[in-house]
Amino acid sequence: MEILIYGTINSVALALYALGFALVYGISRLPNFAHGALYVLSGFITWSALNTLKLNYLFSIVLAMVVTALIGAVIYRLFLIRVRGMEISEIIASYAIGLAILEGLRWGGFKGMTYTLPPFIEGSASIAGIAVDYQRLAVIGIGAALVAVLWLFTHHTRIGLALRGMAQDERAALMLGIDSDIMAVVAMGLGSMLAACAAILLLPLGNIVVESGYNVLILAIAVCIVGGLGSWFGAVLAAFLIGFAQILTVVYLGAHFQMVVALLAIILTLILKPSGLFGQQKELEERV
Amino acid sequence: MKHFFTAVSLFLMVCMLLIASPARAAQPIVLGCPLSTAFLYGWGAERGFTLAVEQINAAGGVAVASEKRPLKMEVIDTRDLEPGVPVSEALLAVEKLILDKKADFILGGPVRSEAALAAMSLLSKYKKVSILTSGVLTPKYHETVAEQYDKFKYCFRIHGEAKNLVGEIFANFAELKQKYGFNNLFIMAQDVSHARGAAELVKKLATDKGWNVTGLEVYPTGATDFSMGLLKAKNTKTDIINIWMDMPESSILLKQWFDMKVPALPFGSTLAAAEQPGFWKATEGKGEFTLCNVVNAGNAPSNATPWTMKFYDAYAKRWGVEPEGLGSASSYMAVYVLKDAIERAGSLDPDKVVAELEKTDLMGVYGRLRFDPKSHQVIPAADPKEGAVGSILQWQAGKRVVVYPKSIAMGEIKLPPWMHK
Repeated sequence: MEILIYGTINSVALALYALGFALVYGISRLPNFAHGALYVLSGFITWSALNTLKLNYLFSIVLAMVVTALIGAVIYRLFLIRVRGMEISEIIASYAIGLAILEGLRWGGFKGMTYTLPPFIEGSASIAGIAVDYQRLAVIGIGAALVAVLWLFTHHTRIGLALRGMAQDERAALMLGIDSDIMAVVAMGLGSMLAACAAILLLPLGNIVVESGYNVLILAIAVCIVGGLGSWFGAVLAAFLIGFAQILTVVYLGAHFQMVVALLAIILTLILKPSGLFGQQKELEERV
Repeated sequence: MKHFFTAVSLFLMVCMLLIASPARAAQPIVLGCPLSTAFLYGWGAERGFTLAVEQINAAGGVAVASEKRPLKMEVIDTRDLEPGVPVSEALLAVEKLILDKKADFILGGPVRSEAALAAMSLLSKYKKVSILTSGVLTPKYHETVAEQYDKFKYCFRIHGEAKNLVGEIFANFAELKQKYGFNNLFIMAQDVSHARGAAELVKKLATDKGWNVTGLEVYPTGATDFSMGLLKAKNTKTDIINIWMDMPESSILLKQWFDMKVPALPFGSTLAAAEQPGFWKATEGKGEFTLCNVVNAGNAPSNATPWTMKFYDAYAKRWGVEPEGLGSASSYMAVYVLKDAIERAGSLDPDKVVAELEKTDLMGVYGRLRFDPKSHQVIPAADPKEGAVGSILQWQAGKRVVVYPKSIAMGEIKLPPWMHK
């Protein structure tokens, strides 16, 4: 039972890390290596709004989401648009921006373990004799709701449909009057907002440290590669596969090997099915 | 003739100006400090050094033969406590301090054991006297000095090491066993050299001493979920969870421990998160009852020696925060110990300073400071009159209360309400 409960929590956390990355790549084919940095940045924005500006927690959360989305959009509009289509340059540029954000935060004095966000609800519940705190239950609930909202948004709104159209075939979308640059800005803003959502949900479980930006990026990439770059459904499924594999590894092999699972998953996927579980990239080549 | 007098007058004026010139001010003694400044063991050490340097310079500096020379600090961030940062980064920092910043002595780090061990050859190559003051706990450091004295005689360590810490922990375990009948021990360690080694040692010693070791979990640096390990501890009816972690994420472990109401006492050996005064706020009080070893007295409030609270208060006044943990008191004392050795040597010559450091006998912030002449490890003791004393503290009602050694204890170990026996 404990494997089921904590495996689900771990999987939802991984899915939250990866959703924003998958969304941006799926729509604009941009590997956003600043994703982890945006995750950490949104945590510090929330912390600053709450503790320095003394704003209400809910308002701080909304503010952090909006500001992070705007930062993501600005990053794309000012920097990444110039290297669009050149994948290596996109990776280098976005990674450099991520480094600048993380090192800038460190330089600005955001170091140590004293930066924390309060949980939404204090206390814990007992599920089949296993103690689980309410914040972790909130992660499962809100994480599931977020995926549902994202699905509704991309299937039942004009912007969402335009984003999907661009993800499926950018040239055809252009012929139908969809501005791919604007949609890419929207996608980057949305992806950044999803990074902020993940941070706001998960950071109350621990503390906000600059170093976690790198870890989040690695996990997001692992989930997206296994699920198939660009596939949101694949990302969610891969998050559950890796999430449960990690928990089973901790239980039966030891916590020491937990991080190896994600890296091993990347290697196995690249050997056995480079396009991932639901990826379309290179799929034709693989079939040939 | 008129021109001659003018020229002579100008010459005399220039001579007088040169005599009175500040260029004649004594050349500073450069202390190179390779520290991982984004982490407690780095910034705590930097603050300790700064405080000592300011005090010594305000009192006139260091007497080298007939000259008083000021101290100057050069700090480079080695980043060696960060996950994934290679040891070579720390070595580059040490070499830069020696070659570029012209450091006369190396104080502080590298802070990670692996990096410090790798830096030993570098210190030997450049004949730079080094005093480790923070982080590095591996016994291999002073054992290496003892094994190859001629090569590594420039390396000293002024804070406690893992074997001392293990001894102190077992003294407390024995007391808890006697008082509450505790017998089950679960060990959680970070995947770094000193923590892995110490955890294995604790496991072996505990088994030898009749403890039932219910598990040993090693977590990668940066791990953020400890729930399965805590559940294992709970399911195996563990009484004490012994923790060896210096990563900031270890505060998450204590939060999870509280949320899951695990009926086992968290006893950190190195547990950087719990050492800091900010731990209470960071865990919203969930870390109450956590124990941790701050390695030396003075890193938490006690009356170990007359100098302890003087240092404690001066540090708090200078930095607006109490000494936060391992590295604060030892870094402060390292500067005074080095000053003492230089003054006795009357020179900055490394071999002469090494000889005088070996003769050090100073009553400092955390007791009588002497180095073992063969291994250059500070000599530990349970009584501050005999040697360097450690400090184990417990978080009680928002305060850090020293509970060990008994000679300086300010309170007793308490159990959380959900595990009262």
